Amino acid sequence: MKRLYLIILSVLTLASCVDEVQFENTPEGNMEALWKIIDEHYCFLDYKAEAIGLDWNEVHGRYRGMLSNNMTSPQLQEVLCNMLGELQDGHVNLYTAADVGRYWAWKEDYPSNLNEEIREAYLGKDYRIAAGLYYRILDDNVGYIVYHSFSSGIGEGNIAEVLHHLRLCSGLIIDVRGNGGGQLDYAQRLASHFTNERILTGYRSYKIGTGHSDFSELSPEYLEPSTTIRWQKPAIVLTNRGCYSATNTFVRDMLCCPNVRTLGDRTGGGGGMPFTSELPNGWLVRFSACPQYDKQKQHIEFGIAPTIPCKLKAEDVAKGKDTLIEAARKLLRE
Amino acid sequence: MIVSRRLLTSIAITLAILSMPLRLVAQSAGDSIRTHSFVLGIGSSHQLDTYLSPLNYTGYQVSFVRETLRMTRLAHRRVSFQTLWQGTFSQTSNISGTATDWGGHIGYDALWHYNWTPVQGLRLMAGGAIGADAGVLYNSRGGNNPAQGRVCVDLSASVMAIYKIRLWGLDLGVRYQANMPVAGVMFSPQFGQSYYEIGSGYADGNACFSYPGNAFSLWQQLTMDIPLGKYTVMRVGYLCDIRQSHVYGIKMHDRSHSFMIGFVKHFRKVKKAERKTSVIL
Repeated sequence: MKRLYLIILSVLTLASCVDEVQFENTPEGNMEALWKIIDEHYCFLDYKAEAIGLDWNEVHGRYRGMLSNNMTSPQLQEVLCNMLGELQDGHVNLYTAADVGRYWAWKEDYPSNLNEEIREAYLGKDYRIAAGLYYRILDDNVGYIVYHSFSSGIGEGNIAEVLHHLRLCSGLIIDVRGNGGGQLDYAQRLASHFTNERILTGYRSYKIGTGHSDFSELSPEYLEPSTTIRWQKPAIVLTNRGCYSATNTFVRDMLCCPNVRTLGDRTGGGGGMPFTSELPNGWLVRFSACPQYDKQKQHIEFGIAPTIPCKLKAEDVAKGKDTLIEAARKLLRE
Repeated sequence: MIVSRRLLTSIAITLAILSMPLRLVAQSAGDSIRTHSFVLGIGSSHQLDTYLSPLNYTGYQVSFVRETLRMTRLAHRRVSFQTLWQGTFSQTSNISGTATDWGGHIGYDALWHYNWTPVQGLRLMAGGAIGADAGVLYNSRGGNNPAQGRVCVDLSASVMAIYKIRLWGLDLGVRYQANMPVAGVMFSPQFGQSYYEIGSGYADGNACFSYPGNAFSLWQQLTMDIPLGKYTVMRVGYLCDIRQSHVYGIKMHDRSHSFMIGFVKHFRKVKKAERKTSVIL
């Protein structure tokens, strides 16, 4: 009986109010709230400590000293955005009513290897549009598809129609330069037309606790072949630093498909599915929460190297030519 | 907290319909009496779900409780059987008013109570229940974590006290009931797991054992039944519904306090032979 009382007492002691620390809506409170959100939920703290020497505790001390109680809202935003900038992550944003804090060095610090006007010239005026896919057959019988954003939806029917139209081409160029991502489903849907069997494309995991190393076991990610038209000829994906997030995953998946190569620059990265949270003053923060890996179990947060490195040459631009498209056409003609 | 006039009108119409007498209203017919009640409530809600946001959200909640209660033949007719259907809808905001949570859940409990009558007019009841509950909380500006689902099945301990008192020339029924889940199974995503992950077939370990140590919840209701005329009994009361959990590092609470109003009906089971002569009492 005594034991029963002890058990009941233990349960009642454990049973208490479930609450979370509520920080004050002050510069200090907002900074502490933001630091804690990243400290507990951001998924690359360990990886970036190793890759770029990030020390999140040191960041706390350094930015804590920049705060004052009478600082203005734009000043606070600047400090907090700079603090988030230490993460070097394009998926990290601070949304306020006045601005979106961002880190875009992953593309702005590198040549774009893309001239939009010249790309439009390759498409000409009689190109076709199937949902988010812009496409045509180039003069040398090479199929050319431009996909500007994975936020533009595509269905199986769209892709099947496009590939059917291009079926007699000797090869296919898929130009995703400047595609900053969008829906992962569309990326996988398009990639599924380039494999005849189920293939391993990578892994993913998620945080299971507040510790920097608290992750689930890696779950394999597979690409299932489409049940409609599947491309059987060579294909080249054009990439640049503007390929981010879902496009980064698309490039990862395409590299696992037979007959597919990538040409251009390293992708921008963005290998973590973002979550959102918020600060006491109502500002919204977005951050990477679930990391993705390639099939060698390596992070893809800092991008994926191309199979064939290629840069846009100024002399080609002067002639109205796109070095990457021309290089891809040459490879597909061989 | 702003409640639209249309909402109040709807509540009034619903209550008016429910107050219309059906048949065989009587309270003195013994064990064959079945009590049905339906009450609507409105009150405040205080919510937290760290999967969506670390901030507390406050706002209003509307709810309903539909109840049936009858005696069974168990333990020499000392065991009563009660069913509870409950549903809520809530709208809450964060402290800065920049985001809104919309939530709702529906639950069912089947409860069995052993009855004592220590003194005239007082009935004490204690027992257990089995129940299930499902709900969702949606945040207006979440990205890949815009909503949180809640599903649980649990066994609860329950106590109730009913006291009949005569005041102002009326036979009033005052009742208090408290239900507390003691063991169950609940669904929860892992700490940083997305629903995209779960939906892609990578659900793993998303069901966990719940007990007061990790999911202390308490449902309490204090009501008074007031006879209005010959056939109608009005029920007014206060409902305190505390739901909490702390599993996989995700903290959740949903605490609401509501004023309830509705109607009670007492039915007597009529045997075939009696049907021909039955009348509305």
